[in-house]
Amino acid sequence: MSQFDFEIIHRSLSYLFFEGMRFTLTLTLLSALGGVILGTLLAMARMAGGPVLAACAAGYVNLVRPLPLVLVIFWFYFLVPYLGQWLTGASRPIHVGGFASALITFIVFEAAYFSEIMRAGIGSIPRGQAAAATALGLTYRQSMRYVILPQVFRIMLPVLLTQTIVLFQDTSLVYVLSITDFLGAASKIAQRDGRLVEMYSFAALVYFIMSFTASQGVRTLRARVAVPR
Amino acid sequence: MSEPVIQIEHVTKSYGTGGPVLRDVSLTVAGGEVVVVCGPSGSGKSTLIKCVNALEPIQGGRIVVGGQDLGDRRVDLPRLRARVGMVFQHFELFPHMRVLDNLCLAQTKVLGRPRAEAETRAMALLDRVGLHAFAEKHPGQLSGGQQQRVAIARALAMDPMVMLFDEATSALDPEMVSEVLDVMVELARSGMTMMVVTHEMGFARKVAHRVVFMDQGQIAEDAPTQAFFEAPRSERAQQFLSKILTY
Repeated sequence: MSQFDFEIIHRSLSYLFFEGMRFTLTLTLLSALGGVILGTLLAMARMAGGPVLAACAAGYVNLVRPLPLVLVIFWFYFLVPYLGQWLTGASRPIHVGGFASALITFIVFEAAYFSEIMRAGIGSIPRGQAAAATALGLTYRQSMRYVILPQVFRIMLPVLLTQTIVLFQDTSLVYVLSITDFLGAASKIAQRDGRLVEMYSFAALVYFIMSFTASQGVRTLRARVAVPR
Repeated sequence: MSEPVIQIEHVTKSYGTGGPVLRDVSLTVAGGEVVVVCGPSGSGKSTLIKCVNALEPIQGGRIVVGGQDLGDRRVDLPRLRARVGMVFQHFELFPHMRVLDNLCLAQTKVLGRPRAEAETRAMALLDRVGLHAFAEKHPGQLSGGQQQRVAIARALAMDPMVMLFDEATSALDPEMVSEVLDVMVELARSGMTMMVVTHEMGFARKVAHRVVFMDQGQIAEDAPTQAFFEAPRSERAQQFLSKILTY
């Protein structure tokens, strides 16, 4: 085996970050956003949606969480075109790009986790807060929007961000779809130039530094966002 | 007295599968009247007051507020609740909002008042409860007594036809009770219709027109204030009074 080649890393930096990391971060942020929104709706359905809706939401969460993420990614990628065909009545399986497929998968998957976080958060707000909002004449939606959820997001922000860091790492699993995310980009160069050690070590270092820094940031934040009561 | 604002007729209620919390309770509060509801813990007085703005559902009987039957599906409950002010034991100010925003939220979102008008109204009421200088503060920066006065102002901002007080002073440090009672007394003397669940018998003597004594989910006595304190008819009310007035 030849010497560790720093040059190859240096030469591929712009490809790694502008192609790969940009995809990874876009996927992470959009998935987190979609996951939090869908997760919040699921949590609300479970807590105040009537028996049928609550059972559906609970069923969804309990169905998704025990599945390995990689399986869901595969399953979605190969099934969504047929699902789309069936839904739209098209004659052939519809075309869904790798990004769209990955994004939908992560939103659907992460929503199950975010909904549990939001459920814990909503449950942590004293019941009197909802009672006071109701007594003032606010509807359920208004009291959620203006009174309960702003407090929940503040309390749960560190947990939501920590989950997003996990999501950031998990997005690397899209390599199974041959998508050029950060790991995928590193992997492509590694295979092309036969520099597996360099590229995978560098990828590991970048994931470590970014995740570790973000975690430290969350720790500092945690101390500062506590809602004064 | 004028038109009844609250009519409670033969109301029964139970939580889940437990025994009844309210048993055949009937009570009327007329416009401008101040009614104090007292009784031992677990007698159902807090539950009763929560039923008046339908925060708690009832299983039997009916409750009519401002001429509208709470059980009627056509009644717009949020609209009705907006006109029934409620003050809670634990204040329940919204901790993530400034005091001013606490007072403006429902004014703008429920009553549809322009922000400027809502703020003017809010500042006038903060002035009335002596907290004009605290508008920009968050609730966490206020003492319990101050928070409860803000909560009263928040309810008043909705121009309520009646104010409900659910043990508004029981969670306060003793030295803060009087500042809240002062506000309540001033409110009573201004002619506000009030239904007040409290153990503060001094308040009852001072401003209540009637005192209702509850025991085990029933109204054991409903009498004019003076008669209630001087000659309670029911044995249970006599015992209650002798115990709490001894000290």
